[in-house]
Amino acid sequence: MSVADLAPQGVQALQVLTILGGAPLVSGVISQIEARLQGRRGPRILQPYYDLSKLFRKETVVPDGSSWIFLTAPVVSFGCYLIVPLLIPVLTTYGLPLGYMGDILGGGFILALAGFSVALSGTESGAPFAQLGGSRSMTFGALVEPTILFVVFAVALLTGTDLPYALAATVRSSTSEMVRPGHVLAAIAFFLVVLVDTGRIPVETHSGTLEFGMIDEARTLEHSGAPLALLKWGSAMKQLILYTILINVFVAPWGLATSGSPKAVAFGIVSLLAKAIILGSIFAVIDNLFSKLRLFKITEFIAAAFLVAVLAVLVFYTGGG
Amino acid sequence: MPSAPSTYAGVADVATVLILLSEFAMLRAPLLRSQIRLYAFQSLVVTALAIVIASTRHIEELYVLALLSFGLKVVLVPSLVMRLLRKADLELGGSSALGVPSMILLAIGVSAIGFFSIGSLQVHSIALPTTALAISAAVVLVAFLPIIFRADVVSQAIGFFSLENGVSVASLVVAAKLPLVVEVAFLFDLLLAVVVFGLIMRLHHGRTGSLSTEELDRLKG
Repeated sequence: MSVADLAPQGVQALQVLTILGGAPLVSGVISQIEARLQGRRGPRILQPYYDLSKLFRKETVVPDGSSWIFLTAPVVSFGCYLIVPLLIPVLTTYGLPLGYMGDILGGGFILALAGFSVALSGTESGAPFAQLGGSRSMTFGALVEPTILFVVFAVALLTGTDLPYALAATVRSSTSEMVRPGHVLAAIAFFLVVLVDTGRIPVETHSGTLEFGMIDEARTLEHSGAPLALLKWGSAMKQLILYTILINVFVAPWGLATSGSPKAVAFGIVSLLAKAIILGSIFAVIDNLFSKLRLFKITEFIAAAFLVAVLAVLVFYTGGG
Repeated sequence: MPSAPSTYAGVADVATVLILLSEFAMLRAPLLRSQIRLYAFQSLVVTALAIVIASTRHIEELYVLALLSFGLKVVLVPSLVMRLLRKADLELGGSSALGVPSMILLAIGVSAIGFFSIGSLQVHSIALPTTALAISAAVVLVAFLPIIFRADVVSQAIGFFSLENGVSVASLVVAAKLPLVVEVAFLFDLLLAVVVFGLIMRLHHGRTGSLSTEELDRLKG
């Protein structure tokens, strides 16, 4: 007996729920792998869930003199991270009803709005370290922006559009699309961007407590209780969203559901989480191999990513892309 | 929207792009040792490229060339320069006239010139796609940057050797069926350059106790 196909709207809701529910799991597995690589036992895989539920039960403390922005911004950013999974191929190869609402740039804008509101709430707290984090994250975010633009240009040259679904379909179509230099370079550039945006090691130690090297982490130092839970959950979701774009759009868009059948969609969920965990362990290995760059050397790292993205566009123009 | 090149052309282009990227990495490598390692890696990619062409286009002479360039450029030259370096007991390269980010921006501009000028020539080759020629021109032009901007003998020598890598990729594109004798003569040129640069390094180090060319103005009468 065949089971009825899921409605496209239902699949789309599942995309959001997968990111929402899977993000802490992926973070937990990555920190477990990281701990094992360093010879520690590490926290439980489900620890991020326990952390979140604990934080939701704690009281919220608001610094003196901060306005409504301090408490609104975490909600805004969380909302943004819930919208982006609607736009990208999380579970399906085909576009879902709201999937064409925005292209890669549209998704980028929403992610930028989320980053901006978190930085704003950090600044609003009035605490020096949170403000430092906010200003740093905006500075480096602005430097990463040109790289993302050039990656989008490369995608546009590759597919004639800048829809994530179109690129994923192009990559799936043949091996020669996989190895074409323009695509390889764009994927490498986006990999480096993900490294910067998720605050991994050459740029930032994501688990440290030393304020001087903090960028993203510092923004949330003054938050507590439910807003902090939303921020932590949001940053885990941002990480999984970026992984999803890298995996399902650039590198390995396989295992996605081609129809709405529950089996295919369930397989899509499992394969996405498995691929995200594999990618996450690559990031964990990078974490252990390299040391953190000094703050003023981060521009060099970003310049390298920019270079790769520019080369991606250049090889298209010489006809070899 | 350009259609995808064939898988073979794609692989060859990616290999040449790797050569260009290692050239860029040399620009920012502060340790002399890591520059030499990058050069060895770059030569390894050149060798791999020659083997790929030899096997798909059935040009047997290229196997010999690949073997020679492996022995010479991946093993011999890097180990010789390493030995010189160990004797000189120096780790860091000399100061550079430009900072790394501005040097990389300059390199992007220079390689764009190489890309577009050669790309517009429309040279067609049986062995490799035209893009590979454009990229190898970019490699040659970018290799001039460490020679011009870095103030130590080793960086300049490595810049020169990697320039030769760019030239040999270009010769693979334009004339894959070049007689072996001519190719070997190229390699012999490189060997000569190694001897000359080795001599300069030792002489310079013996006189000034450093490898930095900034000391050279002390020799004024």
